[in-house]
Amino acid sequence: MTTSSTLRPGAGDHAVADPGPPAPRTRRGDGPAALAFLTPSILMFLVFVLAPTVGVLGLSFYNWNLLSDGSFVGLDNFDRLLHDERLLGVYGSTTYMALAILAVNVVAGLLLAVLLETRMPRWLRGFFRLSFLFPFVVSASAVALIWRFLLNKDLGLVNYLLGLAHIDRIDWLGSSAFAPVSVIIVNSWKTIGFSILVYIAGLQSIPNQLREAAIVDGAGAWTRFWRITFPLLSPTIFFLVVINTINSFQIFAEPRVLTQGGPGDSSRTIVEYLYDRAFGDFDLGYASAIGITFALVLVVLTAIQFWFSRRWTHYS
Amino acid sequence: MNIPQRKVALACAVTALAATALAGCASGSDTPPSSGNKSLEIVYWNYGPAAESGNKATADSFMASHADVKVTLTPVTGENWGTYYANVATLIASGKRPDLMVISGEGAQFVHANNLVQPINAYLDKDAGAKAIVDDIAKGLIDGFTVKGDVVTLTYGWNDMVVYYNTDVFKKAGVEPPSADWTWDDFKATAKKLTADTNNDGKPDQYGFTWASNEIFPGIMPWVANAGGNLTSDDVCTATADTPQVNKAVTFLNDLIKEGIAPAPMPMSDVFTRFQNGQVAMFGAGRWPIATFLPAGFKAFDIQLYPKGDTYKTVFGGAGYPILKSSQNPDLAWEYQKFTVSDEIEKQYVGTPDKPGDSIPSRRSVAETISKVGVPPANSDLYYDSIDKYPTLVPYPAPAKYSTFESTVLRHLQQIFAAETPVADGLKSLQSELSGIVTC
Repeated sequence: MTTSSTLRPGAGDHAVADPGPPAPRTRRGDGPAALAFLTPSILMFLVFVLAPTVGVLGLSFYNWNLLSDGSFVGLDNFDRLLHDERLLGVYGSTTYMALAILAVNVVAGLLLAVLLETRMPRWLRGFFRLSFLFPFVVSASAVALIWRFLLNKDLGLVNYLLGLAHIDRIDWLGSSAFAPVSVIIVNSWKTIGFSILVYIAGLQSIPNQLREAAIVDGAGAWTRFWRITFPLLSPTIFFLVVINTINSFQIFAEPRVLTQGGPGDSSRTIVEYLYDRAFGDFDLGYASAIGITFALVLVVLTAIQFWFSRRWTHYS
Repeated sequence: MNIPQRKVALACAVTALAATALAGCASGSDTPPSSGNKSLEIVYWNYGPAAESGNKATADSFMASHADVKVTLTPVTGENWGTYYANVATLIASGKRPDLMVISGEGAQFVHANNLVQPINAYLDKDAGAKAIVDDIAKGLIDGFTVKGDVVTLTYGWNDMVVYYNTDVFKKAGVEPPSADWTWDDFKATAKKLTADTNNDGKPDQYGFTWASNEIFPGIMPWVANAGGNLTSDDVCTATADTPQVNKAVTFLNDLIKEGIAPAPMPMSDVFTRFQNGQVAMFGAGRWPIATFLPAGFKAFDIQLYPKGDTYKTVFGGAGYPILKSSQNPDLAWEYQKFTVSDEIEKQYVGTPDKPGDSIPSRRSVAETISKVGVPPANSDLYYDSIDKYPTLVPYPAPAKYSTFESTVLRHLQQIFAAETPVADGLKSLQSELSGIVTC
């Protein structure tokens, strides 16, 4: 019987024993070439990420409607955040939908990826992989338009099918309870393919010898999953948690097309809300203040995830 | 030749860098035309292929008749007029200085309040040909684009709100087509007869009527107007969303849903599809649906006025090319605006039976040719008659913050029509929120 330490994450990992290819040597004189290669990326980052961020930060201290000269208002826009009665509700609906989408992507994505890695004919595996990945490459607006048609309460296909099972019509898009659920379903349906793809790559990188050794040691499927697959997959899971958190908090097209954020603000997201303030109210300063604080919220969330990840993520 | 790979790669990287830099410079090299040249830059809402081809045809015709003028078209996207204005504002903020921009009636207050537009009153007074043009345009279309005495633009095309009905569904249900003098009660009775459970599952799958959930113009406004109300005061300075008239209109529509005569409201594009396949027998819109229906081969429809409530008022909106204050050639811009209401261009909005225009020509003499050319529907003369022979809703409730105004109204109506808020409570909270948006 193998001791439990053998099954501890990292122990016996082939990658640990194998030193791998030698690290590339750095030569004197490579600096200018490296800089030349990096410069386009750096320039893109400066122009399309850093500069707009700095610009938005600056705008958040101004009152500006795009068409007339702006006026400096100091921290007024940030003070307005504290008195905006709708903002907290929109944060609530955004968080609800984002966490649900995150859970579906991370948990259901893992489950589906594991299922796809079980024995099945090659063509069937290919079919499933393509089916799951296909929605990911289609435009979010197109996806939402089709789903809007399917989810119509009185004339949609989904309620028709539910009716065959004697389930009453659900107001998927018009009720405060189901509108956010519809956004969660549609966004998850679109994005889960990416999570599955990443999970499959992670699963395939786990050396088979470990599973085979565990089988020889008498470990069941559940034990193998928890003691081998899950720990070795933890960096992949962490990556997906971070990426999906950031992406799901920033959804825009699905609620915009499906429900227009309603009814009320029940399916409205922060990004949609700040867009309306900027390009509906022409209140660029306030929209920028919302954007800056929202970015900070995401940074803090990601930092917390990184901090927690040290407890459960195993890189070797 | 033996060239070191590293040097080649380095050269490629430097080239890429230079290309990036040049591309960046190119996008910023938008120099305004000098005052001496004869060029015009025009911004329009690119809502679809018809917008692009229509604007291009107008620009090409103008350049053909003015050989020394160069017209540059700038298409701007947007999911509706409101977002289009927002995107144009972004364009102007980035330094673009167009001579003219396409606006709808909802945008008249916006461009006027933001001091973007140069009124055309002086041109109308001094231009010898202007009087004949204005006399051939319904008064409502001039009034609709007049803000505080300033005429913002001539209207080249417009739309009124009429009821579309599916003639096949009417025939199948044995229901007579509606007449122009029908009332709300007649309408409701008709819609009820057209509602059917075709698959016998105990629930309707064909409905008498629906309306657009994403726009107030073809959504609730005809009902509000015919109840004798409006969403703003006549000076568009105060919200009037919780009046008994508005309550009556919204309650009527809400009852249609509650009684199963209308499905849950849906966006206009979905309404088109449901109407064509017979799932919805009637809906309200302007002339623009025919640009979708006829090319798709769908001709089983006709139009009628909205039913009369406590009163009848035609709800309409138009579009025009106002001259912007940023124009370096305002006189030439006026010539262009005048050209957009010339016979040559107006005929484009008449179209042909296979390729119809998507709005009504503003010139009466041209609009009258629609039925002569044979462009469906059969009752096409009603389009212009509705503004010439019937009272109209003026002003259209379009405050300067129209985009916010419309989205606020729609947000509250969503809750009412989802039966989550009683009509009176919903309108009260709508009024409260609008009071900060509708101001002067």
